[in-house]
Amino acid sequence: MRQAALGFAGLLVVAGIVFMREAARLPTGWTASGPGPGFFPFWLATGFTLAGLAVLVRTWSSNHGQGEPFLPGGAWKRILVVFLPMVGVVAFLHYLGIYLGGLLYLLGYTRLVGRHPWPLVLAVSVGVPLALFLVFERWFLMPMPKGLVLESLLYGR
Amino acid sequence: MDPVRTFHDLLYGLAVAASPENLMVAVVGLLLGTAIGVLPGLGGTNGVALLLPLTFHLKPTAAIILLASVYWGAIFGGAITSILFRIPGEPWSVATMFDGYPLAKQGKPGVALTAAFTSSFIGAFVAIVLFTFFAPPLAELALKFGPPENFAVLLLAFATIAGLESGDPVKAVLMTFLGLLLATVGFDIVSGSPRMTFGSVALQSGVNFVIIAIGVFGLGEILLTVEEALRIEGLRARLSFRDVWETWKMFPRYVWTIIRSTLLGFWIGVLPGTGATPASFMSYGIARQFSPRGSRFGTGEVEGVVAPETAAHAAGVGALLPMVTLGIPGSPTAAVMLAGFFIWGLNPGPLLFQENREFVWGLIGSMYLANVIGVLIVLTLVPAFAAIVRIPFAILAPLITILCSIGAYAVNNQVLDLWIMLGSGLAGYLFKKLGYPLAPLVVALVLGDMTEQAFRQSLIMGQGSPAIFFTRPIAAFFLAAAIAVFLLPFARNVVRRARGGAVPAEAPGAAGS
Repeated sequence: MRQAALGFAGLLVVAGIVFMREAARLPTGWTASGPGPGFFPFWLATGFTLAGLAVLVRTWSSNHGQGEPFLPGGAWKRILVVFLPMVGVVAFLHYLGIYLGGLLYLLGYTRLVGRHPWPLVLAVSVGVPLALFLVFERWFLMPMPKGLVLESLLYGR
Repeated sequence: MDPVRTFHDLLYGLAVAASPENLMVAVVGLLLGTAIGVLPGLGGTNGVALLLPLTFHLKPTAAIILLASVYWGAIFGGAITSILFRIPGEPWSVATMFDGYPLAKQGKPGVALTAAFTSSFIGAFVAIVLFTFFAPPLAELALKFGPPENFAVLLLAFATIAGLESGDPVKAVLMTFLGLLLATVGFDIVSGSPRMTFGSVALQSGVNFVIIAIGVFGLGEILLTVEEALRIEGLRARLSFRDVWETWKMFPRYVWTIIRSTLLGFWIGVLPGTGATPASFMSYGIARQFSPRGSRFGTGEVEGVVAPETAAHAAGVGALLPMVTLGIPGSPTAAVMLAGFFIWGLNPGPLLFQENREFVWGLIGSMYLANVIGVLIVLTLVPAFAAIVRIPFAILAPLITILCSIGAYAVNNQVLDLWIMLGSGLAGYLFKKLGYPLAPLVVALVLGDMTEQAFRQSLIMGQGSPAIFFTRPIAAFFLAAAIAVFLLPFARNVVRRARGGAVPAEAPGAAGS
């Protein structure tokens, strides 16, 4: 836990320095139209970096969380089982879209993790995307990414 | 202004609003608005915008009643997913999550929902009364608030929020800086140059706080939940109307918070360009500082739901005031409604009260009726809403994820936002695990643009000298209050260390005095 806390605080300090450099590419001083566009971000990034350093020093000087594991046993697996399919849905958005991707995600998760009976699994994983489709695409006319598969099914493209 | 005359006008307005046609329009608007509020990604602003074309066929009075009712419904509905799943249905219900979600997790979703709806109603109702009797003078006063005053008030908001979490104040400051930094991403309004984009074109439109909030709270919460075990603890939830009654019995205790939040929310709403979202955050932060129960905020304190909800709804009403009286929208949603005014052939401004008496007083009358009907509708549905938490986690988790994705995509219609959402979900999980508070991040992101604008305009007004913040009395007062509130958690730590440890973190109401 302590190593994780130290590493994370270190990462924040590095990020802060990167932010400062990015902000400093624009004028950070007084310009013809008042404070330059880089002024606010630059000083914010400086404050962020300093706060990160303070956290780093305080974490270093305390023994809090020494020897504790960062995650309880088996938690890695459970987190990846939820998170990786999320990443998968977004990664394949171009092909599957939100509705088919959501259908597969619901199907897989309710069946494999929840071990619910098939009728419930099918009802939920077809019903939910269908309901969302009707609400967003039909009634509110807010187009969501439908994906190439659904588009070719719907419009024959 | 003559109160008798106003009262007479109000009765006329109520009669207009109670006509069968207008009443039906209000109910339809409320139901639609509640649904829009529940669905993340469909906000009050785009809900109103989407319905605007439908109003062309209605009479102006019915049209404004429809749009206003959608707005009220969305304010009621936004609290529902915040409390049940920690997904903000609306930007202004982010602060409601801080205590509403812990309450739901403790098996009391009915209490949290009732508290949210009831305080929304009270905030709105009192604000409507203020609106009815003091609209013109308040609108004039709001215009006296310049950039230095706005900046000082915003600083007070940050100070109160940074003092929110009982944890490490340095981490709270760090997260505030991070939120403000994220808010600067995208085009700079003054110079027009892209900032903090690292060369990415997609980032030029900026980082929307809704996406970050959905990520860190909605997804982050799912990751935290699976880390413990694969379930959400809501199964013990009681589902009955007894919750409603028992929550109401607690309300007299919160009378000061309600009064403070209503006045604060209403005033922030009246100020141009703000609206319900900053009002809800400020009210939460200030309630935490002043309430005797402040130290329990964030752990499922009913008062922590009451404060932001009261202010959000009061601000929603307040935002309509400068719109009707001066033609200046007080919030993004009000701006969309204002577009409607011109389409219906009306000119907002002082003359509107004289030239279109039916329209103005019909709108005011409908605010009274729509809020009474609205609170009755949502309170009847409390057991039904609370039942949602009984859905098994293996169904709820993917469902929440899909709703989060839709909500994040709807903001800008770009896939990059979904990656930002996933990234902030992971970041939110790590932040939470390592004791970095998330509330200051989101609040700073919400108020960031406004703060920078106020700051830059003030410096321009003062020709580069920060003295302008101290020479204007209202600004100086808020600035002093902000500094006092900001130093409070640090002082508390010093005192605790001096006394040798276990001192309960009490919030003495020292701010601003």
